[in-house]
Amino acid sequence: MGTAILGAICGMLGSFAVLRKQSLLGDAISHAALPGIAISFLITGTKETNVLLIGALISGLIGAFWIRGITRKTHLKTDTALGLILSVFFGFGMLLLTYIQKQPYANQSGLDKFLFGQAATLLERDVWFMAVVTFICFIVLLLFWKEFKILLFDADYAKTLGFNVKAIDVIITSFIVVAIVLGLQTVGVVLMSAMLLAPAAAARQWTNSLGIMVVLAAVFGATSGVVGTAISASQNNLSTGPVIVLVAAIFVVFSFIFSPSRGLLFRQIRFIQNRKDLELHKTLAFMFEIAKNHKNISHPHTVKILNNFHGFTKKSLNKLENKEYININGKMWSMTEKGYHFAANLYNQQVEDNE
Amino acid sequence: MNSAQIEIQLIASLVAIACAIPGTFLVLRKMALISDAISHSILPGLVIGFFITNDLSSPLLIVMAALSGVITVVLVEFIQKTKLVKEDTAIGLVFPAMFSIGVLLISKYANDIHLDTDAVLVGDLTLAPYDRIFINGLDFGPKSLWVIGIILLITLSLLIAFFKELKISTFDAGLATALGFSPAVLHYGLMSVASVTTVGAFDAVGAILVVALMIAPAAIAYLLTEDLKKMLFLSIFFGVFSAISGYWLSHWLNASISGSITTILGLVFLLVYLFAPKKGLISVSYRNKQQKIEVSLLTFLLHLNNHTEERERHINHLNEHINWQKVKSKSVVDLALRNNMITLSGNIISLTEKGKSFTDKAIDYIITNDDSEIESMKEDFFLFRG
Repeated sequence: MGTAILGAICGMLGSFAVLRKQSLLGDAISHAALPGIAISFLITGTKETNVLLIGALISGLIGAFWIRGITRKTHLKTDTALGLILSVFFGFGMLLLTYIQKQPYANQSGLDKFLFGQAATLLERDVWFMAVVTFICFIVLLLFWKEFKILLFDADYAKTLGFNVKAIDVIITSFIVVAIVLGLQTVGVVLMSAMLLAPAAAARQWTNSLGIMVVLAAVFGATSGVVGTAISASQNNLSTGPVIVLVAAIFVVFSFIFSPSRGLLFRQIRFIQNRKDLELHKTLAFMFEIAKNHKNISHPHTVKILNNFHGFTKKSLNKLENKEYININGKMWSMTEKGYHFAANLYNQQVEDNE
Repeated sequence: MNSAQIEIQLIASLVAIACAIPGTFLVLRKMALISDAISHSILPGLVIGFFITNDLSSPLLIVMAALSGVITVVLVEFIQKTKLVKEDTAIGLVFPAMFSIGVLLISKYANDIHLDTDAVLVGDLTLAPYDRIFINGLDFGPKSLWVIGIILLITLSLLIAFFKELKISTFDAGLATALGFSPAVLHYGLMSVASVTTVGAFDAVGAILVVALMIAPAAIAYLLTEDLKKMLFLSIFFGVFSAISGYWLSHWLNASISGSITTILGLVFLLVYLFAPKKGLISVSYRNKQQKIEVSLLTFLLHLNNHTEERERHINHLNEHINWQKVKSKSVVDLALRNNMITLSGNIISLTEKGKSFTDKAIDYIITNDDSEIESMKEDFFLFRG
């Protein structure tokens, strides 16, 4: 249940991350959250999940905005900024964690469960908390739908319309951070970015509309959450996080291959189709050249003439006959009126294209 | 300082150098995140290698891990070529999947061995000196020192041999292709070096530190210089510096070495980010502010040039007319006075000869947008430089 909600919210917000080309922001933020967890533990000394998550939220936000700062103000590129923040924050977090482990508290263990996450540790209360946050995100998303959409696809236009681009940007980024922090507990630091990306990337293949994409991504995310949890529960020694991620990855592969408009499979089929059409047209154009020289276009010719031309097969001739472009009579063929016109136009089009 | 401490620092420094070299090129080629992807996705390779050999110290492990690093790169590129998603999404999809496979393999089949995921991510340098090579009972030093030393040697010789090619293909891929270097070969060569380095370094220092050591020194160096050779040396210097000072920090705090090294790297980056002479945050903001004032100055001078009536040139009038705040007007007027472009008599401002010619030139520049017009003004103003 918890993982389903998590999957849904990640899918929803992940769509924005993917479309804004900030895919790896999730990865960076999830790593950047670690020092926050450690620091809030150092300050409060409790292992209360909510307190730790607030710490994670704060340091995640600092990380996210520092990344923005670096890319805006210096000539370092986004990838460098992301990698830098990711590794530096994570290293700092590890420093703090190891420091904590050597302190004389009794209850310091268990912080590192945030590294890999364990869905089984989710309490009912946590699930409710997640549900509430998801709901809030959903409402805000609906309220500012138009603004988000414009910002996403045409930031300059949004600016000229007078929207506060910066504020919207901050809202989206903060939401992504929130989603990540929520997910830390379940799937852990490393796999969080996949939770964010995979459903969105899969959904992107099926549609060109933002609304449908967000819904689809939420569905994919929730499904992989449920299926992944079910699989990991059915077997011993399978941690939940990686299984969920693998399920989501399978969704992605499936979408890449089978999506009707963008998928690899259909693209290949279309490609072959086009090639066949081209062959047919070539044959037809050749016939047209021959037929053109006779007064009567339906004057029969032997198939043998076509032997100079290698682009034809029995099958392609039959196909042409099915389309009523030619008539075949034994070893003779003749062009029909329709075929003549089609071929003439074909030729004209080609001339136009060449010019 | 005992010999173990010296050895740890030596290993850390060698790792830093070995990482800094490919890291510099990765940063310049905008592929910094590939190192992150590689460092995570070597896990399944390691696990499979372990299944085959049942020996954690076998060299096959390194080969398998490097192989799975290269596979990751190939996969990322394949996904990218289908044009279904952007490059960063491709990276973000591939490496968590690979990592998941690795984690699952470990937790399913290898629960009892010492290959635990924490160690993979974080690494532990403190133990490195105790894993030594003995040949005929003679102590040849820590194993990881040898591993990383060999990798460093290979990297260095490749760097020296192919420096020119790397340089050209990094900055001008088109030219490199035209000159007959295969970008693909160089690309995969670099990727393989990065993979091997990651693998060799990570059992000493952990996956995350590898990423930090690749990206951070290069990023720091890139803020300080634009010369490739200088950048390489600077990033090596910063890498070694943070390796050694990070070791002492961890010694003092009694915390993880790799964490401390990364923290030092982060601090150094923060300092450079703020204070770098040309690219730092402070100097950039200062320059922006300066440019703002200069644009205002131009507007102001143009305004004066357009109006000969005294009423328009009254100092108070300017405040309302160009809509500036008092403070801003004052700083602009001061700047103009200092440059002898205007004279103040009473509260009436008038352009001097110098101010007039400056304005004319500026107008010319705005109209023609020709650089030669403003050569003479470049001395005084930020605005026209670059």
